Amino acid sequence: MDYLGSMYIDNELDLEEKVRFIEKIHSEQDFYQQTVDLLVQEKQVRTIPEKFMIPVETRVRFDLKKWLGKVFHPLVYAGAGFAFATLVLFALRPVSTSQLAAVNRFVIYEPAASRVELTGTFNGWQRVAMHQIGTTGYWELNVQLSSGEYRFAYILDGSRRIADPTQPTRENDDFGGENSILKVDKQA
Amino acid sequence: MEKYDVFYTRSKDGLFAYLLRMTGDYHLSCDLVQESFSRYLQRYSDIGERSRSLLYTIARNAAMDTFRKVKVDQLNPDGYADQNNNPEQQLDDRQSYDRVMAAIQQLSVIDRELISLLSGADLTYAEIGRILGISETNVKVKVHRARLRLKEILSNGGT
Repeated sequence: MDYLGSMYIDNELDLEEKVRFIEKIHSEQDFYQQTVDLLVQEKQVRTIPEKFMIPVETRVRFDLKKWLGKVFHPLVYAGAGFAFATLVLFALRPVSTSQLAAVNRFVIYEPAASRVELTGTFNGWQRVAMHQIGTTGYWELNVQLSSGEYRFAYILDGSRRIADPTQPTRENDDFGGENSILKVDKQA
Repeated sequence: MEKYDVFYTRSKDGLFAYLLRMTGDYHLSCDLVQESFSRYLQRYSDIGERSRSLLYTIARNAAMDTFRKVKVDQLNPDGYADQNNNPEQQLDDRQSYDRVMAAIQQLSVIDRELISLLSGADLTYAEIGRILGISETNVKVKVHRARLRLKEILSNGGT
């Protein structure tokens, strides 16, 4: 019954087994030590450093067309098609479910900022909040972009507007600031 | 029936944790998560209950398909290295993670499978039994042995 330790770790003990487990922990030093060791080990096994977690685009993206195709009955295909077309029409929003060419990952290191937004020609200069990556000081946002040339900038704490420090191509805007220029090549 | 988006949200992290331990490859695991949900929807979206065991079985088969196409030693354990991040801050985490991942890859397939399935803290022994086609009692015994073997590998410095 050594495996009581693993059952404990995996929340598989019924009441009777819990009694046996407690008694065994109390009376057998080796079993106690092994259980502690396995608990610590399991903690390590289950920890994924934040950087290696499932990425944002994988968290939110799934194949809407397949999903619609399977879930909706033929009679409501027209409705589904209309809904999908509406989605595409509003696809200027980032991380939308349009058939755009590629996902572009915008990343900026701004540990001092409490809020970072992205704005650019790809969405008519609307501000879109970026996501903080843990406590690393990095902010990120995935935006689906078709091929073309875009202007964009970051807005720190709602007011300070800056170009992407890592992007060499820039141009002055009409308000004394700078915008970065991003070229997206068409993907095969 | 549980809505698909709820099922997806509840299951994706555990499934990813499993695939990451099984394959040791970050990008492949991301792809396999997508592939598994996609296959689940294509073939089983109309069955009554959302089944995690079924989802994991599909993911397992998808992973096995990949293993057949690509040798395990050609997989890319550093596939996450191109992520934009600050490596210094994550050094400790990264070292511990690398050590444990390397140890898991040294286990036999069945041991690795059990450790990986439990790493998402999502599945019961009964569900794991269904996925692997063994009895629940057998899962109990094998899980514990797998953990002891992993402990042995780790205490030998992962060699």
